[in-house]
Amino acid sequence: MSKLFYPVVTVLILAGSAFTLVAPQNWQIGQGYSISFSSSDADGIFKDLKGSVVFDEQNPAAGKFDVVVDVASINTGNGLQNKHAKSDEWFDAAKYPTIHFISRSIAKSGNGYQVTGDLDMHGVKRMVTIPFTFSRSAQGGTFAGSFMVNRNDYKIGKPGGDVGEQIKIDISVPVTKS
Amino acid sequence: MFKKSLALGIVSGLMAGIAGIVYARVYYQINESDFSRVVSAVKIIAASLVGGVLAAIGYALLNKWLKNNGEIVFNLCFTLISFASLLAPIAVTLPKTIDTPELFPGLVIPMHFFPALGWYTLKPVFIRGK
Repeated sequence: MSKLFYPVVTVLILAGSAFTLVAPQNWQIGQGYSISFSSSDADGIFKDLKGSVVFDEQNPAAGKFDVVVDVASINTGNGLQNKHAKSDEWFDAAKYPTIHFISRSIAKSGNGYQVTGDLDMHGVKRMVTIPFTFSRSAQGGTFAGSFMVNRNDYKIGKPGGDVGEQIKIDISVPVTKS
Repeated sequence: MFKKSLALGIVSGLMAGIAGIVYARVYYQINESDFSRVVSAVKIIAASLVGGVLAAIGYALLNKWLKNNGEIVFNLCFTLISFASLLAPIAVTLPKTIDTPELFPGLVIPMHFFPALGWYTLKPVFIRGK
């Protein structure tokens, strides 16, 4: 029994360290992130983003994104438009204070990656796929992605009108190792 | 007439600009919202001066064309134009990096009345009643 003890412990330690080596990296959302939206007649940004980001370029499938955007942090550059955007006619920030995205899967795609997950916005949860890139830097890296959503799918605003139904979302999130 | 109205326009424009800068400082102290990147002191002075000079040109022309009614029409136009110009700060889209655009009209709207206020206040000094 004593002869087996040390080999078994060694194997367990090696096996454990192997798992540690392949565990995906936890990233902390850094300053200077940008979440902007634009359509034919409206554009703006969301200023507050929180969440957890787990991602490894070598093993994207093990990654996980869980991020929340504060709807009240919307900024179109115009006070009246901000008020209007937060009203029940559009985002209804009082009733639906956050936009929540949780990933289901992340996969390599061409030169970048794509994440598929649930986008919960304005009380409507829909699956979306977001293509993104990750550029690594000395201290961390930057996620950048761009995708389209149809605001009618989320019952935001009335169909038609001046504001385009297809909204382009551009995301750039610098991260640091946590 | 034009020289006097031009002098009035320049002086009242400068006074309006100084009042605007003082008001902007007070506004910043009260609300802690800094719009100096959009509305700098130079821009306040320049805009007020332009307002004063345009008023001077308008005053001289209206008094030339309308004789006795020129002053009445000018005062009415100056006040109406000042009111109409309020639409600009309400409708303007500021850079997204400015956190509180809803406080911007509160800063700029009073300034739109300063040139007219300066003109009406200083007019008796430069142009005596007929």
